[in-house]
Amino acid sequence: MSDLDEHEHMHNDADDMMQDEEEEEAQSETDHGQPRRRHYDEDEEDEEDEEDDEEEVSGRKPKKRKRKQGASRFIDLEAEVSDEDEGEEDDEDYGGDGFIEHMDGGIDEDVGRAHHARLDSKTFDGEDRTAEEIATDLKHRYGGRNAVRYSGDMNEVPQRLLMPSVHDASLWQVKVKPGRERDIVFTLMRKFIDMEFTARPLQILSAFERDTLPGMIYVEARSSKQVKDACKGLSGAYTVKVNLVPIEEMASLLQIRKKELTVTPGSWVRIKRGKYLGDLAQVVDVTENGEDVGLKFIPRIDLNPRDDGSLDALGKKRKKGSTAAGTMRPPQKPFNFEEVVKVYGRQAVAKRNQVYVFQGDTYKDGFIEKDFKLNALSLDDVNPTLDEITQFSRRQDGLGGENPVDLSIIAEASRKAAVSVLQPGDHVEVFEGEQAGVHGTVEEVSGDVVTITAAGLDIEGQKVDIPARSVRKRFKPGDHVKVMTGKNADETGLVVAVADNIVTFLSDMSMKEVSVFSKDLREAAEVGSGTNIVGDYELHDLVQLDLQTVGVIFKTERDSFRVLDQNGQVRIVQPRQITMRRDSRRAIATDHDGHELRVEDNVKEVDGEGRKGQVLHIHQSFFAFLYNREISENGGIFVTRARSLVSLAPKSSVFPKPGADLSKMNPALALHPGGMAGSSIGRGPRDRMIGIIVQITRGPHKGYVGTIKDTNGPIARVELNTNNKVVTIEKTKLIERNTPGSNRQFADRLKAMGPPGEPGKPWGTRSVNPYASGGSTPTWGAGSRTPAWAGGGRTPNPSSDSRTPAWNASSRTPNPYANNAQTPAWNVSSRTPNPYADGGKTPAWNVSSRTPNPYASNNGGATPARNAWGGATPGRNAWDTSTGWGDGWNAAPTPAAATSPAYAAPTPGPGTYDAATPFSYGAGAMSAQTPVSAPTPAAGGWREEESEGLSEEWLLDNALSNVLQRIKIRIEGSRNYNYLDGKYEGLTGRVMAATRVGTNMEQTATIAFDNGEQRPILMKYVVPMQPSGLDGENGVLLDGPYKGREARVRSLSEDGMLTCHGDFGFAEIPQDKFAILTVAPA
Amino acid sequence: MTAAIPAPRSRQMRACLLCSVIQTSADFRKDGCPNCDSILQLRDNPERIQSCTTQYFDGIIAVTDPEKSWVARWQRTSKFVRGMYAARVKGRISEDIEAELEAAGIKYRPRDQTEQD
Repeated sequence: MSDLDEHEHMHNDADDMMQDEEEEEAQSETDHGQPRRRHYDEDEEDEEDEEDDEEEVSGRKPKKRKRKQGASRFIDLEAEVSDEDEGEEDDEDYGGDGFIEHMDGGIDEDVGRAHHARLDSKTFDGEDRTAEEIATDLKHRYGGRNAVRYSGDMNEVPQRLLMPSVHDASLWQVKVKPGRERDIVFTLMRKFIDMEFTARPLQILSAFERDTLPGMIYVEARSSKQVKDACKGLSGAYTVKVNLVPIEEMASLLQIRKKELTVTPGSWVRIKRGKYLGDLAQVVDVTENGEDVGLKFIPRIDLNPRDDGSLDALGKKRKKGSTAAGTMRPPQKPFNFEEVVKVYGRQAVAKRNQVYVFQGDTYKDGFIEKDFKLNALSLDDVNPTLDEITQFSRRQDGLGGENPVDLSIIAEASRKAAVSVLQPGDHVEVFEGEQAGVHGTVEEVSGDVVTITAAGLDIEGQKVDIPARSVRKRFKPGDHVKVMTGKNADETGLVVAVADNIVTFLSDMSMKEVSVFSKDLREAAEVGSGTNIVGDYELHDLVQLDLQTVGVIFKTERDSFRVLDQNGQVRIVQPRQITMRRDSRRAIATDHDGHELRVEDNVKEVDGEGRKGQVLHIHQSFFAFLYNREISENGGIFVTRARSLVSLAPKSSVFPKPGADLSKMNPALALHPGGMAGSSIGRGPRDRMIGIIVQITRGPHKGYVGTIKDTNGPIARVELNTNNKVVTIEKTKLIERNTPGSNRQFADRLKAMGPPGEPGKPWGTRSVNPYASGGSTPTWGAGSRTPAWAGGGRTPNPSSDSRTPAWNASSRTPNPYANNAQTPAWNVSSRTPNPYADGGKTPAWNVSSRTPNPYASNNGGATPARNAWGGATPGRNAWDTSTGWGDGWNAAPTPAAATSPAYAAPTPGPGTYDAATPFSYGAGAMSAQTPVSAPTPAAGGWREEESEGLSEEWLLDNALSNVLQRIKIRIEGSRNYNYLDGKYEGLTGRVMAATRVGTNMEQTATIAFDNGEQRPILMKYVVPMQPSGLDGENGVLLDGPYKGREARVRSLSEDGMLTCHGDFGFAEIPQDKFAILTVAPA
Repeated sequence: MTAAIPAPRSRQMRACLLCSVIQTSADFRKDGCPNCDSILQLRDNPERIQSCTTQYFDGIIAVTDPEKSWVARWQRTSKFVRGMYAARVKGRISEDIEAELEAAGIKYRPRDQTEQD
């Protein structure tokens, strides 16, 4: 670079730095020339570069130019302006003074010269400024294209930092006439510009409207007055009320987004106007700015134009005419070259490759392909129907039309809908896009974006935003799901397979496999039967619909049932339309072969379709409702006549199953007229609670007394005594009201009662099938042992009733004893004399034996425990026999009786005897479902229950009055209760007197102890002295038909049975039911 | 400086994809974009106007005092001229212009409100 160049730089530099750089300029130019270049702004640098280039090419040229420029300072400004190279010239112009300096400094480096230059530059200051101004002017004048340089300097600031603060002007909401929002915003702008330089300019900062907020605009201003002033006189703006927008809502007003409507190739749209109004079209392509959309749809070509003659020549007119004809638009029909040519002539259709051009439109594969403006299409709520889509897919597959519908198209179409079904908490997976394969839990759904917390290896726990259309719900086999929408709505089931977006699950109800889109599924919180109960009714209940109609619920819906009635008709019923639930558990019908048909039997039809199934319900011994899970219709339930069914597991009449229908072989039963059994069948069992007097314990009717008129499940209808009104009330709110002071909690009774109705039945009914029906329901056994009975039995008045002639017969059958004798279990208990004695002495037993039914049922009860009791207790057998039952029983000893280990378990000592309250029995052990396994407490409780309040008063039995004072007794159990410090425990003596004192008092007996003492003792601690088994002991029978009769002990077997002989003959009795008497009458 | 204000009922209104100013296409052709013509060079360039402006926008803002207005600041138009702006503009500028902006060190912010921070 030449010296000269350096100087030139210097002078450029100088003009930049102006006067404040004087000192530096004075210094040597070579030092500072280079660094100063860095201060140049871009333009100058560029230009200088250019100059440099030029200079390098020829060193002289620039100098020449400079000279010329140097000279130009003496030339008029006009001349400079008119110069050709404007931009450069500008710079050079105000570099004029520098030139001078350069000239001076370049030639002579004298300080004085430099000073001159400074002076010079000063003198030129004024002119220099003018030049600058001129430059600015020029820039303005020519700078149309770069007057405002676009710089994104605002773009680096995050939006959140732009939130409004209190220092910003406020937004004011102005109500405007709907439809005029845009006009008013524009008017405000124009008004602002017009008024800008007037005395009263508008003082607003901005104004805006949003399409989504019709009827209002927002104006930014410092005060509402400014807003009102601005809007004054604008038609359509209602400035009476101007509302301040809270500062936190300001940003959201600008963030409102219209629902995003995107058009992507392949999506479905509808055409909004024109000939194809409402037609479905598929997007083929979209222009880059999204304004024009290429569509493919089924054309509507008029193949019957009105005047055929003028067609060929005037194709365009024709077209107009046909569209204008309007009222009848041509039907949708795929483009068919032959047809069109036939009507319009060959010239009308041009063919290019595979594409036909007809009347300016292109047709391909029968579709018309046409560009539409986006705003001529409706993009939302397209809802293509299956038919429409089929038409498209068919065409796409060529004209064959045999291919089945491509489900994926429909899936795609419904994908949009899928977005709306996503909810936080759903498990989803991403199936397309970058994040494909990621799965996680939906955290948040905002518009079309879901935020999911990813699960998985590398991005575990991260939150990811995903377009909602790219995710689908995720299920895995084993999930329990519920269908939310569609024809399978409310179906629940277990997922067995998942393939893409189709989930197959096994329905809980129909046991069928159901395939649904995963979007229609949710994971169901309620598992299983939760959906099967509506109100008080449950799936597979037999319900009474009206007087004539019953049906079985085979499907439960949200709040209704589908019921198959006995006529085979399906009804949809609301819970309130159901009169009551019917219980057919003990209903019996006759099958095709004349055998009994019972609930739960597996049967099949002999005629018709030969369907198999399990008997769910029997109605009027005629209709049988069967269930077969393999039948899909009606949830697997069907109704048929009982007469047309045969058992699948044939019941052999030769080999009765153990514990099965023995009564049939019992000749004793043959005596009973069949009609009796028959007549009782079919009549619904009368609810045993009906007629009971109850008191209401809660609710508005609290304290009222009434009679139960009807019951249904947990509900009872009670007729109030006070006003004859019938109220419906829950049974738990009732107490039984029998005798004063002995009101009984009703619920307890309910529990113990088991299936209602049995006791009221003639026992003959039982005889039809005592073992099976009684036995199959454990509750039955429990029910028969209800304390209620014990309670009812508190009328100690038994002896006469129990003397049925059957006794003799049964007593002569040695069978049971032999049998029982072999059971070790029995031995165990036989050595503990207490329980039997107690039980035997209880009047309750006697009483109940008067009402044969419960005992019959006990006997018949196939519940093992029952058998054990009944069978193993000879004493009981004896009484049972008195009902005519014993025969059957004894003839068929059940193994259960012999071996039941549970029975062996009890330790019927005093402890059990003393234990507990009367209710413990009903509520407790005995109602336990497995009586067999109910060991000590069960037995104890039971025994105690039988003896409670009864055995305590055994001494008061009238039958014993003759021998009362001879009965030897022992005090037992007093120590446990610390009665008289227990000091009489174990003492023996004899009864002096026992008389009843009051009804609810504890009874006492006066005892003369062997040690001479004589005092009253609570009767409950007084137990009879039992025989030691020595032959010749004299005693009295405390129970059985010969109660109160004196007898002499003959032998005592190991199992505790005592054989005695009295004037009535021989008798056998448990040893604890026998009291020793003093030898001589007192 | 003020952008050309279109007639309120004009059907030719277009919004600039870069600065969201609303003008008629005629105004764009005549004067270019008042804010960003240095980059977009819309003047006398109908194709450019087609690709860099759009008629799909919603929300019209009359910005009368860009420097002081919060609305303008929020919309990042406070450095621009007075005029009508769109609250939201659909679409993005083409990629080469975006690259150009990037080269100039300017961050491109689409005006379709898809990106928020």
